Amino acid sequence: MIEFHLDASSGVPTYLQLVQQVHQALQIGLLEPGDRLPTAQQVVASLAINPNTVLKAYRDLERAGLVRARPGLGTFVVGRLSRTDPEAQAKFRTSMTAWLRSARDAGLTAQDIEAIYRTAFRDSLAEGEGVA
Amino acid sequence: MIRFAWLQSRTQTLVTAALLTALAVTATITGVHFSNLYHSLVGHCQTGCDLATSDFLSHGHFMQRMLDLVAQVVPALFGIFWGAPLLTREFETGTYRLAWTQSVTRSRWLVTKLAVVGTATAVLAGALTLTITWWYRQFDVLDSNQYAVFERRDIAPIGYAVFAFALGTLVGALVRRTLPAMAATLVGFVFARVAVQLWVRPHLIAPLHKATSLLVGGMGFEISDGTVHVITKGAAPANSWEVSSNLATSSGLTPTTAQVSAYVHQYCPAIAVPPAAGQSVGKAPDPSAFQACQSQLARAFHLVVSYQPASRYWTFQWLETGIFVALALLAAVGCYWVVTRRTA
Amino acid sequence: MTVALEANGLGKRYGRRWALRDCSLSIPQGRVVGLVGPNGAGKTTLLHLAVGLQTPTAGTVSLLGDRPGSGPAALARFGFLAQDAPTYSRLKVREHLTMGAYLNPAWDTAFASARTEELRLDPGQRAGTLSGGQRAQLALTLAVAKRPELLLLDEPVASLDPLARREFLQTLMEVVASRSISVVLSSHLIADLERVCDYLVVLVAGTVAVAGDVDSLLASHHRLVGRRRDPLTLPSDQSVIEASHVDKQTTLMVRTDAPILDPGWTVTPVTLEDLVLAYMRRARDGAVELSTGLAAVQ
Repeated sequence: MIEFHLDASSGVPTYLQLVQQVHQALQIGLLEPGDRLPTAQQVVASLAINPNTVLKAYRDLERAGLVRARPGLGTFVVGRLSRTDPEAQAKFRTSMTAWLRSARDAGLTAQDIEAIYRTAFRDSLAEGEGVA
Repeated sequence: MIRFAWLQSRTQTLVTAALLTALAVTATITGVHFSNLYHSLVGHCQTGCDLATSDFLSHGHFMQRMLDLVAQVVPALFGIFWGAPLLTREFETGTYRLAWTQSVTRSRWLVTKLAVVGTATAVLAGALTLTITWWYRQFDVLDSNQYAVFERRDIAPIGYAVFAFALGTLVGALVRRTLPAMAATLVGFVFARVAVQLWVRPHLIAPLHKATSLLVGGMGFEISDGTVHVITKGAAPANSWEVSSNLATSSGLTPTTAQVSAYVHQYCPAIAVPPAAGQSVGKAPDPSAFQACQSQLARAFHLVVSYQPASRYWTFQWLETGIFVALALLAAVGCYWVVTRRTA
Repeated sequence: MTVALEANGLGKRYGRRWALRDCSLSIPQGRVVGLVGPNGAGKTTLLHLAVGLQTPTAGTVSLLGDRPGSGPAALARFGFLAQDAPTYSRLKVREHLTMGAYLNPAWDTAFASARTEELRLDPGQRAGTLSGGQRAQLALTLAVAKRPELLLLDEPVASLDPLARREFLQTLMEVVASRSISVVLSSHLIADLERVCDYLVVLVAGTVAVAGDVDSLLASHHRLVGRRRDPLTLPSDQSVIEASHVDKQTTLMVRTDAPILDPGWTVTPVTLEDLVLAYMRRARDGAVELSTGLAAVQ
C-alpha cells in the first residue's frame, strides 16, 4: 500500500499527480503486481480531494494496463513498468554532459541552463498531456 | 418539534419554576402563620371584631408589598425575558438558518414554539397567581374591596402574562434585536394594560345605578375661586366597584357645578367662606352649620352612584382574561404572518 | 431528476440594491460544485434563496425540482450549512444530535454518533465552547445525518485555521465518497475549493460570470502570449476573456473548444485560479474592449 501526497504549487493536475506517484512507486519497486491501491475513500479522506479525481486517476492507470479494479475488493496492481535500460541511461547522460559543457562554453550561467531545462521539460510534459 | 421546543426552553422554564417555587414556599410558610393569626384574632371574635380585624390587617406588610410587586411585575417579565428573545436570539446568533433548514416547516416550528412556551407561561403565571390569591384570602375578605386588587388576583394575571409573552415574540419578530425588543415589549405591555383599565374595562358591562340620600355617607366642601364643590363618598355597596357618583336633582337631572355652587352660596352662607388670604384650608365650619347645610342640600339633591356589584367580580375576571388572551392570539397571528411571509 | 439546483432569471433586491440579478443556472446532480465569487457577490443570497430562507424578488429557483419551502418533504431532501456554522451555543453537542433526530424523519443516528466520536467531540460539551473547527464539524454532521440528496455549504471553511480547514474538507469528501451526495459549496477563495470541486460557478456582482465542468473549463481556456496585436484578429471561435498589452507583447486568455493553430502564439494552459480571477476582473471591469470600434458599439 502506498500513500499519496499532493504538491499544490506544481501546477500539475491532481489526478495526474496521483498517476505519476503510482508510476514512481512501480519504478522503484514500492508497488508490485498483486498490491492493493488505497481505496478512493481512503485517498479522499487523507488528501481532502474530490472522489471523482481519484476515480479518474485509477481509470487512467487501468487503461494503461497497470491496475485492475475488482468490485468489492479494491484496485490491484497487475502490470509492471518496463525498467529503463541502463545502457540508454548512460547514453543520455553522456550527451547531456556534452550539451552542458557547450552551453557553459557559450557563456550561459548555471541559472540560464536551469531555466532552459525547466522550460523544455515543462513543454515536453505539456505535449505528453496533450496526447494523453 | 414539541420535544425540541421543550429542549430549547427547558432551562428557562425550570429556572423560573424554581424561583416561583421559592416564592410559593415562602408564601406557604407565612400564609400558614397568618392563617393561624386570623383564627386566633378574628375567627372566634364575638365582640369588638373591628379592633381584631384592624389588628390582623396591620400584620404582614412586608409580604404584602413583595407579593403585590411580584403580581404586578411578573407578567411583564414573561414578555421581556421569554417573549422578546424567543425569536431575536435566533436572528442575532443566526441559528434561524439552522432551525429553518431542518425537515420541519417554518410555520410548524413557530406555532410549536409559541404553543410550548406560551403554555409554560400560562402554567407558571397560573401557579403564581394561585399562590398569591391563596395567601391573601383572609386579608381580601376582611378588606372587602375586591375590585381594588382585581389585577393582582385570580385569573387576570394569567391573561396578562400570556399576552406579554405573545407581544414580546411579535415585537421580536419585527425588531429582530433583543434589547430594543425588550424595551418595546415593556412599553407596549404597559400601554395595553393602562388602555384596557381606563378605556375598555369601565364600558364592558353597563353599571348599576343607585340613588341614595346625601345624609348617608360622608360629605365635604371644596372652595376654589369662589366656586363651591360638593364632595361625596362611601355610597356604593360594600365590595363593589364604584364607577362614579354624581349629584342629581329631584327631577333626575345632573346639576352643573355652577348650579350647586349657587345653591350652597344661597342656603349655606356659613360654609361658602373662602379661606383667609395666604391659607389653603379654610376655618372649619361650625358642626351644626355643616349639618344644617347637609340637610339643606339633601332636600334639593340626592346622590346617584354607578357601580359594578360584587357579584360581577368573576364576570370581569373572565372578561379581562379573555381580552388579553384574545390580544395574545392576535399578536401570535401577527408573528406567524411576519415569520412565514416576510423574510429578511 | 438530474438537476440539483436550477435558477431562472433569479433576482433578490434589498432596498434599491440588487444582491442577485438575472441569475440563470442549471447545476447537475452528482457533482461537487464550487460557488466562487468575491465578498458581496451574492453567494449567500443565492444559497438562501435556494433553501427557502429568503424569497426571490424576481425569477424562480428550484432545488432538486422542488420549490424552496414547499413543505417538510422538500426540506428533508437537502442539508444546509449556513455561514459561520450556526449552532445553539447553550445546547450541548448531544442535544444538537437529539434535535436532529427530533426534527428529521430520515435522521442517521449511527452516523451522527460515529462521527462525533471520530471527531472526539465531547457529547456533554456546550456548543458555545467548541472551537471554530469543531463547531463547523458539528454543523456538518447535523447536515449530513439528515441523509440529504444535496448538501449546500455557505463559506464553510472561511473562518477556519488551515488544519481545521483541511480536516473539514476531508470529512466532507469522505461523505461524498461514501454516499452519493451532491454538494454545492461557496467560497470567496478558489484555493479552498480547487481540490474538491469538479464544477464551478463564478458569481460576480450578483450575476453568473461563468459556470461549467472544471475539466472542460480548464481544457477550453488557454493563455496566449505573442507579439502585440489586436485581439480582433483572432478566429471567431476564440472568445477573449482577458487581454493585456505591453509595448511589444500581448497576453490573452481565450476560450475555445478548437485547437489553436496560429504559430505566432505561445499557448499555455491556465490554472483554475487564473481562470476565476480573469472572469472576476472581466465582470468587474466590463467585457474586454476588443477594439475601439467594438467598444463604441457596446
